[in-house]
Order: sequence, then structure tokens, then C-alpha cells
Amino acid sequence: MVQTILPLLNTSKNKISKWISYFGLGIGVVLLLSSMQMFLNINNLLKENNPRKDGFDFFSVTKVITNENMGKDNTFKDDELNELKNHPTVEDAAPLISNQYRVKASAGNIIPFSTDLFLESIDDAFIDTVPPGFKWEPGQTTVPIIFSSDFLELYNVFAPSQDLPQLSGKTISAVNIILEVYGATGVQNFAGNIVALSDRINSVIVPKSFMEWSNQTFGGVSKVNPSRVYIKTKDANNPQLISFLDSKKYHLNKDKTKFGRIKKVLQNIVSALGVFGILVIVLALILFSFYLQLMIAKSKENLQLLLTLGYSPDWLSKTVAKTWIPIYVFVVIAAVIITATMHYTFVKVSFVEGNDLSYFLHWSVLAIGLLLLALSIFTNYRLVKKELYRIV
Amino acid sequence: MHIRLQEIIPTYFEKAQTTDSEIWGEKISFNKGEHIHIVAPSGSGKTSLIHFIYGLRKDYEGTISYLDENIKKFSLEKFSTFRQKNLSIVFQDLRLFTNQTVSNNIELKRQLNPYHPAEKIEEMAERLGIVNKLNRLASTCSYGEQQRIAIIRSLMQPFDFLLLDEPFSNLDENNRNKAFELINEECEVRNASMIFADLKELDFFKGERILKL
Repeated sequence: MVQTILPLLNTSKNKISKWISYFGLGIGVVLLLSSMQMFLNINNLLKENNPRKDGFDFFSVTKVITNENMGKDNTFKDDELNELKNHPTVEDAAPLISNQYRVKASAGNIIPFSTDLFLESIDDAFIDTVPPGFKWEPGQTTVPIIFSSDFLELYNVFAPSQDLPQLSGKTISAVNIILEVYGATGVQNFAGNIVALSDRINSVIVPKSFMEWSNQTFGGVSKVNPSRVYIKTKDANNPQLISFLDSKKYHLNKDKTKFGRIKKVLQNIVSALGVFGILVIVLALILFSFYLQLMIAKSKENLQLLLTLGYSPDWLSKTVAKTWIPIYVFVVIAAVIITATMHYTFVKVSFVEGNDLSYFLHWSVLAIGLLLLALSIFTNYRLVKKELYRIV
Repeated sequence: MHIRLQEIIPTYFEKAQTTDSEIWGEKISFNKGEHIHIVAPSGSGKTSLIHFIYGLRKDYEGTISYLDENIKKFSLEKFSTFRQKNLSIVFQDLRLFTNQTVSNNIELKRQLNPYHPAEKIEEMAERLGIVNKLNRLASTCSYGEQQRIAIIRSLMQPFDFLLLDEPFSNLDENNRNKAFELINEECEVRNASMIFADLKELDFFKGERILKL
């Protein structure tokens, strides 16, 4: 049936705007899809060293030590902790509880190394790498430890000069550490096992349950005020937050948020590119709608007569809109292929070793491509229908 | 199917214009199967009436209803259903796609809701003497030929009512008889009504319901 209807449409006019709109649609779809894919790529590439977790920044604050307050109590009291937690820019805050007893660590006979040590504990939610084995129950002689990767780096710097072996992130978990804990009742040994390295927290972290138990048992204290507090926030660079912390004379570790900031800037740039892509798509569709309107105006008499003879406006709109499906499918598929090629090239030349970037487009990018295709065809159908009702 | 006209008067008519009319301002019902001959001198609003009934114009007072539903409230979509199944028409001004061939013009109507197979087009064209014009552009046909095209086109679909607005004005007596015979046959097969509007009473319409506009 379609074959006999189409000659009644005057499609000969304004061909240039039709082709420009196809071209524009293609460019827009490429921009949108490739910026989406880049957004995901950046997310993926900057994941491993990323101090952000679930879109939040984490950093620690301490009280600034000055000549005046030196030697005084510089811990955070409960009300200060609550004030931090309740600040509008702060999502959550958790204290770093430290040990209230003496701990000595040695690595046994393989690595002749022994040092006084400090331990800290914090809510698991604030640790970037929490393996399932990071748990301790009373009676357990092995204590899991999360070790700062900065400390490991430091150790590896001075190890050769002390005739100690250098250790990689993987081998450190195999080192048997003996924790000698000194309490009022004597010395107790625990086996320390490094289960993970943390980029975020500069400390030696043990499970909270162990810290509470050991502080009670060896230090004889049940309540410890922290001298460091970790803050979880949407944006560590929020001026409101920084001025609040400054007014409180809290010191924050800004370095830790730098990486997050770079990522944010990069993602903002590609997001802007994506928005620009959407804009181009909208413009292309508007341009095409002008072409459609003109075509319908030029074919007005024929279309009116078809409606008079009993053709359904809905059927006519669908039939007319359907004629552009092949070209729209072609444009979107071409755009997807171009995006896929660009992504493939990016993965090839980005020189990021061991990244988990796939050579293929993310499924959500393909889904958006399909959605755009459906959206373009649907808007054309609606427009034709609207125009048909107008000419009656 | 039945069509009701309830006190309809074109909005642009003077009241005095409608006093002698048997249609304007009256309550009339057209039932399926009966043939109605509307005799209307020039200027009495014949074509307007046909357009009102077919739903092309709404500038009248009163109500026209299909199956007791006011057609002023119909959507275009609903009209299209009736125009595919229940109502067919031959316009006075014919309304052909002049840049299409004769057979395309007829086929465009036939494929919408086929009552006849495609071969029937040629058979009817043969009967009305335009079979050699089927592949010509409609614009190259004479007005008389175009009238016969419009008649054949109107017979391609199922219908309960066939609206005819001076369909024979440019046909000689011989062709007029042939065309009327064909129309009559097609109405009988469907048990359909003819609503036939013309300037004067036609001799072959004797004994049917005649209404003066």
C-alpha cells in the first residue's frame, strides 16, 4: 500500500536541509555516545588509585598543633565530632581510634626487623579496600591488618640500607608479623596478617572489635577520644567546608583529594561535550522537522484528499514517518561504528597497562544509541500526525 | 446503519431561504437500503448538504448523526473508519489525484478496504468505456471521463450509503444509463442506500423517495 502513497508526497523541495539534518544527527550522536564512553573510560581508568568511593571524597582532619596548644589535649571530643557530622557539607565522619597500650611489631626470622608500632581502627565504610577477611573476634590469635600503601613505599625506600628485603604489595601479605602487645598483666603475642593496602588511610588499621577489646584489656580504657577524624563529603573542595574547617583550626590533608579533582574536571569536560552532542541532535531534529513541515505543506492537497477518501491520520503518519526509518537506522549505526572505532583507538593508544578497559563500547552506550533512534522516529511520527491534523 | 438529520441549517443561510425546503430545518432519517433522491436547484445548498453529511464541513446548526452519534464530535480517526466501511462518495468536483494514473486513482481507494479484487477495476472501466484510459494520467482525461473514474473509485469499498453529488452532469444519456446501472447493481449487492443529489428530478429515479432541498 505504501508504494502508491509515497508518490503523492512532494519530497523534492529543500533537500539540502534534509541532508544537513542527517549529517547533524550523525555528528550529534557521535558526540553524545563518545562522550558517554569517555566518561565511563575515565571512571574505569582512575578507579584503582581513586580516593573517592561511591562518588564521595574522604580525607582526615586533625587539630592544628601550635606552640600554644602543644602538650595539651588535642583530641576530638564528642560534641566536636557531632558538630562535624552535622555540618551540611559533611556526609559522615568517623574517628580514628588509636591503641592505648604499647605494641611492638617484628617480622620473625626471615626479615630481622622490629619496631614500636601504633595501631588505629575506623568504621569499615571509610576504608577503600576492605577484604572479607577483615574481621576479628575475641579469642582469635590472628589480627588482620590494612596497611597504608604510603608506609610500604617508605619502607621500601629505607629497606636496602638496613639490609632488609624490599616488598611488593603482593608479597607483604605473606610476611608473618608478630604483634607483641604490652599490658598491665604482661605481654601477649598476636599474629598480624596484612590483608590489604589502603591508598586512603595513612595508618595501620586493625578491626574495630580488636581495638575496643585490646584498649579495654591492655590499656584499661573503654573510651578513647580520637586525634584524627575521617570525613566523607561530596566535594572536598567545597569552599564552605574548607572555611568551616579553617574556622575550627582543623588541618586537612588536601593532597588526597587532588586525584578526585582531576577526575572531576575531566568528567565535567566530557559531560559538557555530551550536552553539546544533545544540543546538536536537537538542532538536527528541529531542522528535519522544518523539512517535514515544508514537505507536508507542499503535499497538502494530496494528503487532504487521502484523509477525505478515508485514510486514517494515524496510519498515514506512521506510513510517512516509516519511510525515514532506513536512513535514520543508517545514520545511527554509522555513528555507533565511528564511536566504536574512536574508543578502540583510545584503548590502543592510552598506554594504560593492566587496565580493564574493554575494546568494545559499553552496553549503556549502545542502549542510548538505540534510544536515540527510537526517539527520532517517534518525534517524526508525532510531528507528521500533528501537521496532518493541522491541514484538515 | 442509519443517518439522522435534525433541524440542520447552514449557519450562513437566511431563515427565509429554508422555508420551502423538505430538508433544511426538518427531522429526516436515512435508513440503509432505501434510495433517496435530493432535488436541489443551484444555490440551494446541495453540495453543502453532501459535505455536511460526509463530515467535511461543520458550519451548520442542528445535528447530523451516524448511528445516533453526533458527527460534530467525531475525531478524524473515527471518520476514517466510517469512510472506509460505511460511506462512500462521488464529489461534484470529483477530487482526483490529477498527477496520478487513472488506475492508481482507483487503486488508492480500493486498497484502503478492498471490497473487490483488483481485476474488477478493469471490468468496471470496460463497462463505462474508459478501459483504454487506465494508464493515462487523470489530468489528461476529459471531465466526463473523470466523472466515470470518480464513480468507479467510489464503488471499490464496502458502504451502507453512497453519496452522489451531480455525478452525471457531464455524461451523455447512454453513459449516464450505463453508470446508473452499475451504481444500482453495486448498491443492491451491498443492500446500500444511494443519496443522489441533482439539480432536477431524474427520470430513472421514479418511485423512490424524493426530497426537495
